[in-house]
Amino acid sequence: MANTFRTLSLSLLVSVASAPLALAADPIKIGVDTPLSGTYAPIGQQVRWGLELATKEVNAAGGIAGRQIQLIIEDEEANPAVAVQKADKLFQVDKVDFLTGTVNSGSTLAVGQIAERANKLMATTVSFADSITTDKCSPNVFRVNARAEQQSAALAAWLAKEKPNPKVYFVGPDYEMGRSTVAAFQKGVKERGGTSLGEVFAPLDSKDYTQYFGQIRSARPQVLYTSTAGNDTVRLLTQMQDFGLLNNLTVVGASGTVTSQNVSAIGTAADGFTTGVGYSPQIDTPENKKFVDAFRAAYKADPDLYGADSYGLILFYKAAVEKAGSTETDKVRAAMRDLKWATPQGEKLMRAGDHQAVQTMYVVQVEKSQFKIKGTVPGDQAIGPDSCTRF
Amino acid sequence: MLDYLQFVLAPQMVTGLSLGVAVILVALGLTIIFGLLDVINMSHGEFYAVGAYLALSLGAAGIDFGLLLVLVPALMVPAGFIVERGLIQRVFNSPDRHTTTLLLTFGLGLVIEEVLAVIFGPNTQRPATPIRGAVEILGVMLPNYRLFLIVFGLLIVGAVALVVYKTRLGAMVRAAAFDRHMAASLGVPVSLVFAGAFSFGIALAGLAGVLLAPIYSVFPTMGRDFILLAFTVVIVGGMGSIAGAVVAGLVLTQIQAISSLYISPVWSDPIVFGILVITLMVRPQGLFGRLGRG
Repeated sequence: MANTFRTLSLSLLVSVASAPLALAADPIKIGVDTPLSGTYAPIGQQVRWGLELATKEVNAAGGIAGRQIQLIIEDEEANPAVAVQKADKLFQVDKVDFLTGTVNSGSTLAVGQIAERANKLMATTVSFADSITTDKCSPNVFRVNARAEQQSAALAAWLAKEKPNPKVYFVGPDYEMGRSTVAAFQKGVKERGGTSLGEVFAPLDSKDYTQYFGQIRSARPQVLYTSTAGNDTVRLLTQMQDFGLLNNLTVVGASGTVTSQNVSAIGTAADGFTTGVGYSPQIDTPENKKFVDAFRAAYKADPDLYGADSYGLILFYKAAVEKAGSTETDKVRAAMRDLKWATPQGEKLMRAGDHQAVQTMYVVQVEKSQFKIKGTVPGDQAIGPDSCTRF
Repeated sequence: MLDYLQFVLAPQMVTGLSLGVAVILVALGLTIIFGLLDVINMSHGEFYAVGAYLALSLGAAGIDFGLLLVLVPALMVPAGFIVERGLIQRVFNSPDRHTTTLLLTFGLGLVIEEVLAVIFGPNTQRPATPIRGAVEILGVMLPNYRLFLIVFGLLIVGAVALVVYKTRLGAMVRAAAFDRHMAASLGVPVSLVFAGAFSFGIALAGLAGVLLAPIYSVFPTMGRDFILLAFTVVIVGGMGSIAGAVVAGLVLTQIQAISSLYISPVWSDPIVFGILVITLMVRPQGLFGRLGRG
């Protein structure tokens, strides 16, 4: 008994002695809970590159309010159950000030609850599901990238011009993001006089899409909408090409379906693919050219929307902390609301009512593995109403 | 109507057939090992994964696909021999052999899966399709490699059946399966037959890995995807029956393919496992009898 007591008090003493004192010169820790393995590994790679490039540049220029940024990276495997464990570890063990990196919309929603419990803030730079900033919005969660409805608004307007009254079939991954993107685009198509011929949802990380082709064949669509991402798109589009299903078919999709990261693996099956997206490496501004050059020099690859939005997140957090003069949750949250900040893709506004970023949207088409800009939609026309009621 | 048959139903059935042949190849090794050794090899899926990874790395080293079809199964034979002699025989004669061998092979599968993840990383890799292009049959495009898989797979199944049912070696194998003591007293080297049959089953799993890697990609947990379906095929067909595995494999995958036209394809797994449950309730011995008895 006495022994146990001695050990206990000793370990208490040790833990008190080693508790870090928050000095002004201590680094600001940002937890990165992102998929480094699995079907979304290419997305996690871009997230990591974008964050690391911005961190390097900000740190070289003196950091955030004189403090350096330190990134702590964990692999969430695009699996909400794993993402939650890693988020807990980042908040409780590493004591991060801020969290980002989640890709799978289910992970973002789950980690948002962990952030609420830890009384910390987080932001996604990738997840599309509308629910994250609508009916499942959280005062602790921000989204700096465009959500499904913003992408859908831009794409549906383009499709209505190119193919009036289209007959569309939908293929989505079977979870929050897939169902949200398909529902958003179905709404957009129907509002503009198109017809939905039906939809089918395939599990994330499906290896063989051929069993889904029967329903696509019997629907005989003019247009196919898909919101698969990462390696799933590689398999879907190349298998459709193998079976001759891409002939006389217009393929459109979510902004993350075909990106710089998977376009070369898809090859010619990606030609003609069109999407509504918040970023293209071809945006013709000096800020973007500088960003693309720095990104290419560092990683020998083009940035995609995830890399650009993740790069912009560090600038967003820096602007908010410097405005708040603190890293305290309540002060930073107040500073983030209605914050306007500069990113490679132009100025973004963080809408206070639902924590959703407002930004210019682009219609982008793949031509010979290049992302050509076919049109733009101003941010206020694509954003849609604020339907978050929790705060 | 004819249009529907030609452009919707027929391609869907061909797709189902290529999946069916793939499943039969995996199930064949499983059913031979069970029929002969009375061992449920839970690590069978992982040997299939090993075959796929061998094909991936040897293919990347510049070895021709045609050679891989021979080389990889040949490399799997000694591996199977070592596992049977070094591991399975050690627990084979225990009173509850079914439990010990099941746990042993299950653990072995976990070990192999983790070793593959450590060596090759957790990410999915896809070897190039060895036979490119597609042919147009009656206005429907069919990839050449899927057609090759169907034809080659059926040839392998036919060859295995021929060896088991029509040769002296096959007769020895069937005799050992039917009554090992009687076979031994008649001069059949039973323990060698057991090790050989296990190695043969493992080699078939490796061959399935080579054939399926270009279609289903290669990743450490790939063994799990197929093994549930393969087990279902083996149980519905009758454990240990080659004919049963072929018939059940073709029927179950056609049910999956055709039902996928009318309901969401994610339901195909519940349907197949539902058939498994009903089979176990109504006809637990499966459609056909065991090896050596049919």
